[in-house]
Amino acid sequence: MLEEVLGSRLLFVSGKGGVGKTSFAAAVAKTSAHFSKRVLLVEIDNFYPSLTAVFSTAPGYQPKMVEKNLAICNITWERALEDWLLQTIKIRRVVNMIQKNKIAMLFLDATPGAREIVILSKVVSLLDSWDQVIVDLPASGHALGVLRVPVTAKKLMRSGPIHDRASQVLKVLSQKSTKLAIVSLPEEMVVNETIEFMQKVAKGLPFMEKPDVVLNRASKPSLTPDELLLLERLEAEEDVMGAEARELLQAGRWERDLESATGIGLKRLKEACGEEIFSFTRLGNLGGYKGGPNQVVQQMYTEILRKVKNAK
Amino acid sequence: MQSNVQMKELIQNQKLLICVGAGGVGKTSLSATIGLQAALMGRKVLVLTIDPAKRLANSLGLKQFGNTETQIDLSQIGDVKGELWAMMLDGKKTFNDLIDKLSKDEQTKRSILNNNIYQSITETIVGNQEYMATEKLYDVVSSGRYDLIVLDTPPVKNALDFLDSPGRMARFVDKRVMKWFLTSKKGEKRIIRRLLAGSSAVLFKLLGYVFGQDFLEDIAIFFSNFRDLYEGFQERHSAVEALFRDKKTCFMIVCAPHKPALEVAEFFLKELKKRKMRNPGVIVNQRHFAHFKNLNAKAFLQERCDELSQDLSAHTASMLLARLGVSHKRLHRLALEEDALVLELSKYLDKQQRLWSIQRMHGEVHDLHGLVQVGNQLFVNQE
Repeated sequence: MLEEVLGSRLLFVSGKGGVGKTSFAAAVAKTSAHFSKRVLLVEIDNFYPSLTAVFSTAPGYQPKMVEKNLAICNITWERALEDWLLQTIKIRRVVNMIQKNKIAMLFLDATPGAREIVILSKVVSLLDSWDQVIVDLPASGHALGVLRVPVTAKKLMRSGPIHDRASQVLKVLSQKSTKLAIVSLPEEMVVNETIEFMQKVAKGLPFMEKPDVVLNRASKPSLTPDELLLLERLEAEEDVMGAEARELLQAGRWERDLESATGIGLKRLKEACGEEIFSFTRLGNLGGYKGGPNQVVQQMYTEILRKVKNAK
Repeated sequence: MQSNVQMKELIQNQKLLICVGAGGVGKTSLSATIGLQAALMGRKVLVLTIDPAKRLANSLGLKQFGNTETQIDLSQIGDVKGELWAMMLDGKKTFNDLIDKLSKDEQTKRSILNNNIYQSITETIVGNQEYMATEKLYDVVSSGRYDLIVLDTPPVKNALDFLDSPGRMARFVDKRVMKWFLTSKKGEKRIIRRLLAGSSAVLFKLLGYVFGQDFLEDIAIFFSNFRDLYEGFQERHSAVEALFRDKKTCFMIVCAPHKPALEVAEFFLKELKKRKMRNPGVIVNQRHFAHFKNLNAKAFLQERCDELSQDLSAHTASMLLARLGVSHKRLHRLALEEDALVLELSKYLDKQQRLWSIQRMHGEVHDLHGLVQVGNQLFVNQE
């Protein structure tokens, strides 16, 4: 699974909010760059780009090199539209006229899917100059809408440049080298949403490859069955114990909860999405977070590298 | 809300309580908790929720009740004076109902619902359910059927989306765009002719070139049908905005004790203040507490461990004791980290605002008894 993700030409990363989409996308990008691929990591129309915290510099519309072989950018609607209009109309003065006209801009703003198709087609055009383009998509609900837009646009616009562009984008999305990765967490609600998202992708984006699932913040099982049994027996006596003993048991219970949640989550994901699920180890104390975004990315990158080297 | 409020007062006096915050912090469970507590106090409550975790929905008996108000059976937790109702929002249905209500006649309605563009508009604009939440809210509040409504807001990437949602539709049918269509007299043909011959003709010819002429015509027809609904949208927009600022409405920020969720909470604190919307404070959910430092597991549990592990494999007791010691160290560190983060957040609070903390539950809250337990933390332990 990891091999396919790393080998893709165009990789979309999505998942429920706060699961670590940006971190995973960045870690994959770093890995590819490490193997001498020229990689572009893209954020879509984000007013507060999440990549800023990872690379300590804000991504602009033009790709900016942040490491060897690795560049980042933030594709904003206004700039992508300008590119789009220039490509279609070819006369700068006329494009300026459209952009200055409030009614025209409102019209474009209100046109369903216009925003997404313009941005997606910009993403696709970037494939010409980069070995790999990785897109940090918005959270699952919205991501589906974005990827479905070429279909909707083709239906709505039966002729003209958008129709043609939508066909091109659709063709790229249908290619085997285009992948979608969904990041999940060992929490019931997040797993539910991941499985639902998988089903929606199968139904709404049948032309795309089956998505790959990544489990973030997994806790490896470490308590033996006997230890678990003993913990349970101690818990049964909890009511008559002192505050200190209770707090110790509480702590043990957190660890157990995290480990069992990982087991349950992994099992459900495997049942729904297939056996090959890559998981990242949880950092920090119990449920807590550790370090800043750049440390998290560095750690994930190290884990991916280790896995790749082991496979070889 | 002059002084530091109590949660009890709040649900006794308010009519609308809106829970906002990042995704995954437990907004749905907390909305249900607050609703249940209010019902226990004798009020008639509606919890309006969007796509809750399936098990919570099941425990509230909410599975197949899209967009209908359903009474929750509270008999299993004793004799309850009030009533608890719940409803899950169905964005698309709400939107269709709205078109139904605002359309002047059957023909306008059908023409809109059958329009090619309508479908994708419901997907792009309404698919984000925050707008729909405010629509439905307006309906149930104005119905006067409930003493208190608790709204669990949809998780939004951009936290402002929800606060600004009443304006969303109104912006979409922006005055300038609408006026442009409104000035032309009836008839789709005329509108298209105007598109291509009026003062902006060159512009629209260009747009036609970019988008395709067919599409331009489709959208012109859509707008011409839609303009009849314009006034209706404007009215509702103003009404929902007034509702957000009403004395009996308040926003409750819900967050979890980690950086991403706290950042969203800070953001909401600032934005609510800027918008002069009432906000009694923040509920920090899913907290870990540790009261002791450097606990020696052996000192407190060795005896019981030895006794209870006689039939288990050798070293089980010593291994578990070692594990508990390590786990507790981590719990203690985590509790300190969370304390520091929460302290940082509390700097953003005004004098009259307060902070409620709720301990993380083992497992996920998925039945009425679980909700009562959380409620005890929120209403009993902290008051």
